[in-house]
Amino acid sequence: MRRYFTDFGKAIKNGDVWTRLSLIVMGAGYFGRKQIVKGILMTLIELGFVLFTARVSWQYIRRLNTLGTVQREEIFDPLTLSKTVNDYDNSLLILLLGVIGIILIFAFVVLYIGNMKHVYSLQRLKEQGKHINTFGEDLAALVNEKFHITLLTLPALGVILINVIPIIFMVCVAFTNYDKDHQPPTYLFTWVGLENFEQMFTSNTTVTFGFVFVRILIWTLFWSVIATFSTYIGGILLAKLINDRVVKLKKLWRSIFVVTIAIPQFVTMLLVGKMFGDYGIVNSICNNIGLTGWMQSAGLVSDGLSYIPFLSKPGWAHVTIILINLWVGIPYQMLAATGILLNIPEEQLESARIDGANERQIFRKIIMPYMLFVTGPSLITALVSNINNFNVIYLLTSDYVTPSMKFANSSAKEVDLLITWLFTLTNQESNYKMASVIGIIVFAICATLTLISFSRFIAGNREEDYQ
Amino acid sequence: MKKAWNIIWKHGLLIILSVIWMIPILWLFVTSLSGYKGINTMHFFPQEWTLDNYKQLFFEPDTVANFPAWFKNSMIIGCFVCLISTFFVLGVSYALSCMRFRGRKQLMSFSIILGMFPGVLSMIAIYFVMKLVGLSDSIVGLIVVYSGASGLGYLICKGFFDTIPASLRESAKLEGASQLTIFTRIVIPLSKPIIVYTVINSFLAPWMDFVMAKLMIKSKNPVDWTVAMGLYKLVERTLVGNYFSVFCAGGIIVAIPISVLFVIMQKFYVEGITGGAVKG
Repeated sequence: MRRYFTDFGKAIKNGDVWTRLSLIVMGAGYFGRKQIVKGILMTLIELGFVLFTARVSWQYIRRLNTLGTVQREEIFDPLTLSKTVNDYDNSLLILLLGVIGIILIFAFVVLYIGNMKHVYSLQRLKEQGKHINTFGEDLAALVNEKFHITLLTLPALGVILINVIPIIFMVCVAFTNYDKDHQPPTYLFTWVGLENFEQMFTSNTTVTFGFVFVRILIWTLFWSVIATFSTYIGGILLAKLINDRVVKLKKLWRSIFVVTIAIPQFVTMLLVGKMFGDYGIVNSICNNIGLTGWMQSAGLVSDGLSYIPFLSKPGWAHVTIILINLWVGIPYQMLAATGILLNIPEEQLESARIDGANERQIFRKIIMPYMLFVTGPSLITALVSNINNFNVIYLLTSDYVTPSMKFANSSAKEVDLLITWLFTLTNQESNYKMASVIGIIVFAICATLTLISFSRFIAGNREEDYQ
Repeated sequence: MKKAWNIIWKHGLLIILSVIWMIPILWLFVTSLSGYKGINTMHFFPQEWTLDNYKQLFFEPDTVANFPAWFKNSMIIGCFVCLISTFFVLGVSYALSCMRFRGRKQLMSFSIILGMFPGVLSMIAIYFVMKLVGLSDSIVGLIVVYSGASGLGYLICKGFFDTIPASLRESAKLEGASQLTIFTRIVIPLSKPIIVYTVINSFLAPWMDFVMAKLMIKSKNPVDWTVAMGLYKLVERTLVGNYFSVFCAGGIIVAIPISVLFVIMQKFYVEGITGGAVKG
């Protein structure tokens, strides 16, 4: 890091006229070494940046500290019979363009420093009488030793546009009061510090976020663990069953399960959700065969209901969701496990058999350790993706209405994961500030899990155990 | 005797499991042939059989359901996203796996950190950004949204590239091949499974996603919708009574090509998943 800046200082100290001129006109150093095209390009970039910052982004950046002070007002003019709107501040635009402007300034500074160093190295080359690349040679380098720049530029821009900017924006929103009552352009929102985080952990008669948050967090963690391990074990068992030596038509069986992956989840999950609805087909069948009556007499379904509340009562819904998730997840895990099972060295299994191990022992002592070794890191990935398993929960519980006032107060449901709760808060309640707080918490959980998995599985050098 | 029993119970179990896994799909299929438009709650199989739902889907677009237009939109989006994403993923994987440059490790750590932010959170902000650029409510905007961040999904592909022997690349370099030549002539031809995997995945993403589409496309005119979004709207509370069987027909139409693709590509798919996983 220090060298980064000392190199920059050296470039200024030892630079000749052209190099020092580059401090003002970035292309100057290239002009001096007869790299005309590159010089023009650099100068154009500099010009574009200065113009954009001065004309567009600066007026937003300078208002970032307050996020705007002039509220929108419409004045009806009786003479012209038209409405005029004052010159109001739009907090959303200020924050968004402010963030973009700052990112641009940051990127420009990096480019600027890099440019100075490069210009200086050109000067050194010239002094030493070495060859200086022509523009054509520079272009050729872009498909050779600098090929990574060609490959990474566009994807990186995409990631910045679709990931980095939105994430920084939403993280900022967690520290503002951007919600239903503060929606631009009509109203302003502003910084409130850690107020939202405090609200997330308080629970009293008016604010129930703390109460709801703890319950949803527990369910989210419980769900992700159960969902991951049940489908993981189920997938391995199914893969083992299909790949058993005595089983015929392996391809057919596998295809049957693969088809269920292929149908988009929003189709299958909505469909299954309707099947298990209060007056859905499953309930009709349960009614006809007397299961509902039996459940009532066993006390599992309260007497007032004429149906089994598969997806409409807490408790029932939790169990049903986990069971339905088996249907979703096992084929995926089966596919992954199949590939790995086929890789287990046959001699190992054979020698175990000769030594008199039975199938169960082989499964427990050879297959499972091998699977765990190979899929260990991906288990953590699966855990993280189950914490973020939006589709299954959202689609299955679209008809669920919470019976609890406290949950309703925070626009949550008992069966919500953090991620679906976040979605409801943004899309139905426009409560962006609390949604952002949840998002940051989810990030913290996922980051912790990933860090653990990295230190546990990657850091220890066990790669050669099975080679 | 013991062996015969072994065969029988294993096949029996497989049959039972297959039936369980097939029930929803069978129901989807038979409901798509039902003469009753709403959700059939009393009978598994429809009372009267008809092909009307398919006819309505394809030839009688109305103010809520316009399947031909949805299909066209999704197809355009799918193709472009597929092209861009595949290019991005392969490029990023090659740069990070086969080339060595300053900041490579930091870039990889950074991408992993980015991936841990919940996507649902940034959705609304993506919408704001797209609106700012003037691309919200358009197909181009959706293409940008679906393919823009695809470079982050390089991990599996990079894991595969890592397994290609470095000696191959070294010897090509000695022969005077540029990185571009090594990439297109050596690495790409050796990576068929992973390319198929990437292509399928990126093509399917827009067909499966209804959330982002619903957020981005505010148009009330069904001509502008995608398949996923349109079908999702058909089962909203006010419409489900009249369109449920049409929804099922749409589901079947979408599912058939994807299923065929999946079953054929199964082998590649397995190699794709595990090829990356083994490397961790």
